[in-house]
Amino acid sequence: MFVAKVKSDIIKGIIEVTSPLVNEAKFNITAKGLSLRAVDPAHVAMVDLELKNSAFEEYKASDMELGIDLDKLSGIMKLASAGDLVTLEYDEEANRLIVKIGNLVRRMGLIDTAGMPDSKVPHLDLPAKAVVKAGELHKGVRASEAVSDHLSLNIDKDSFELFAEGDTDTVNLKLPRDMLLELQSPGKFRSLFSIDYFSNMIKPVRSEDPITINLGNDNPIRVDFDIAEKNGHVTYLLAPRIESE
Amino acid sequence: MEQVTTHQKTILKKEKAASPNLCGLCRGTKFLCGKDRCPVMVRFFSKSKVKPLLDTTHLGGASPPSVFVGRFGYPKITIGPMIPPTMGDTTVIDTPELWLPKSLEEIVDFRSQLVRGKFFVDATDVENSHKVVQYTRELGLSKNSVYAEAWFDKKPYGRIAFYDEVQPHGPSAPISALDITNPKYDQRIEKAYYDTDLKAREAILSIYKDGTQVSKIQRAFSVGAFGEKRRRRFVPTRWSITAVDSTLGLELLKNTKTYPVINEYRVYYHNQYDNRWVILLTPTEWQYELIEAWYPKTTWNPYGNEISIFSSHEFYDGRTTYAEIGGCYYAARLATNELLSKERRQAGAVIMREAHPGYIMPIGVWNVRESVRYALTQSYEKFETLQQALVHIQGFFDIPLQRWIRTSAVLKNQLYQRRLEDFV
Repeated sequence: MFVAKVKSDIIKGIIEVTSPLVNEAKFNITAKGLSLRAVDPAHVAMVDLELKNSAFEEYKASDMELGIDLDKLSGIMKLASAGDLVTLEYDEEANRLIVKIGNLVRRMGLIDTAGMPDSKVPHLDLPAKAVVKAGELHKGVRASEAVSDHLSLNIDKDSFELFAEGDTDTVNLKLPRDMLLELQSPGKFRSLFSIDYFSNMIKPVRSEDPITINLGNDNPIRVDFDIAEKNGHVTYLLAPRIESE
Repeated sequence: MEQVTTHQKTILKKEKAASPNLCGLCRGTKFLCGKDRCPVMVRFFSKSKVKPLLDTTHLGGASPPSVFVGRFGYPKITIGPMIPPTMGDTTVIDTPELWLPKSLEEIVDFRSQLVRGKFFVDATDVENSHKVVQYTRELGLSKNSVYAEAWFDKKPYGRIAFYDEVQPHGPSAPISALDITNPKYDQRIEKAYYDTDLKAREAILSIYKDGTQVSKIQRAFSVGAFGEKRRRRFVPTRWSITAVDSTLGLELLKNTKTYPVINEYRVYYHNQYDNRWVILLTPTEWQYELIEAWYPKTTWNPYGNEISIFSSHEFYDGRTTYAEIGGCYYAARLATNELLSKERRQAGAVIMREAHPGYIMPIGVWNVRESVRYALTQSYEKFETLQQALVHIQGFFDIPLQRWIRTSAVLKNQLYQRRLEDFV
């Protein structure tokens, strides 16, 4: 069983976080809330999303899985304005999700979740941690997009640094400790990432909100932030590029 | 991969100093050099064999069938039949699927016989009742050679016309009247033609799945035979070729993406008209790139002393803009997906073309489609790692591997981008 009432922005947020990686996702529903985990077709990035029942206006559920076509859901959510309340209800007999927006009722066929594997979370040793304001990262990434398709992230004892290098141009964004919300690093750490992927991961976060970054050497990055007024949480993992160009 | 010969070093050195090569990007279509006629094209005109010009304004012959829809001045364009001064079964003249065994000279020779009639019409005016328009359309739908008689306003002019994406043809003239006898429609095409609610995309897909040749579909597409009635129009030949290649390729790709990934790295090779084709299939999700390297003195690098390399690519989610390198990108993508569909497998594909000086003239994207198709029918070499496959590929090419990798987004992605499971 699953019946929930929620602000449309929260659903839109879930779509924004998930759809850059996958077109379909398996939502795990429990009485405590919903969660999903998905890996993109290239196996380069993973998203792990959790939304507590407190994020909803109303929430009643027992354990189940919903296989959702995100493009379709995104199309439906375009019918809702900001602030609209949306009711989601699982129709067991027809295996459909009933989406109610005001007086509009949209019944959406679900995808069989049997073919959707559970992804394993890699075990990572990421010693460096920095908490950065999203706005700073947005700026650095936007500048980097113009010069290269990859950037390096560096954390040492005193600062966080983003660096991108093209054939002729470079971008450098250095944030010393006092411009960071938090910094812990036992030494120097550096990994290289695709700008496309990294950009999609930080895009959903509002400029004034914090993003937590965990970094190692030539290791995946872990990006964490809260959603739905701290009633939800997103973790992204992104595999690095290795240098040799 | 590590070994670089002296010869390769010189090439690399030259390339670093290379100035941008406009010709490779323009290919006679965009006039990037600022001249009002493409000097490369003009060179081919002047070199082409001097044939006795048609000394008449009346011509009868068996159209393969063949039609030509021009693109200049769109939507006010010229359409018309192409007719050779010969009788009998001329089908081969307009069936690129049959041309690979022929030499460039032979192809140019039989294509140059085709006399093109030009009749002004608005692209949207597919229902125009003028006989020239009606019969041109009937030729476009026909499956056999059709006897056609044309009356021109002037004596057909010119010797042979070359295009980048379109097959060459012979002299042309404004046409005032046309008569044809007994066209036999291709049934599958005819059915789609009379279905005025069927979308063009669905029409060409179903005809293709029934086994109709791409060149036939493209010909009918250009005379506005498909689509919902009010949306039908004449499509310039050049555009119709890419529209069909692109649409069919994308449709096959939808299925390709659901198939299991191949188990090994594969390398296919074929040399056609002094173009060395290497197709690398990788055991990854779909990603695709076509890289073309033009030696000095080849078609699209006529003046340079340096090799010029161009590429376009897409990753799993596809592209949103037209490929920089043009219609050949879509022709090769179709050919690749034909193989993958047949095997019901998914793979990444990097197609590398090293064009050597024996490739002297533009003959159309059919050459790309058919060469890649042919290469993919050949036996392939299997490798366990990308590195091994690349070392093998180097054996086919004069240009050092580093140069190919430097140009290639897909190879760089495969070599340098790690996956999450590498860390489990």
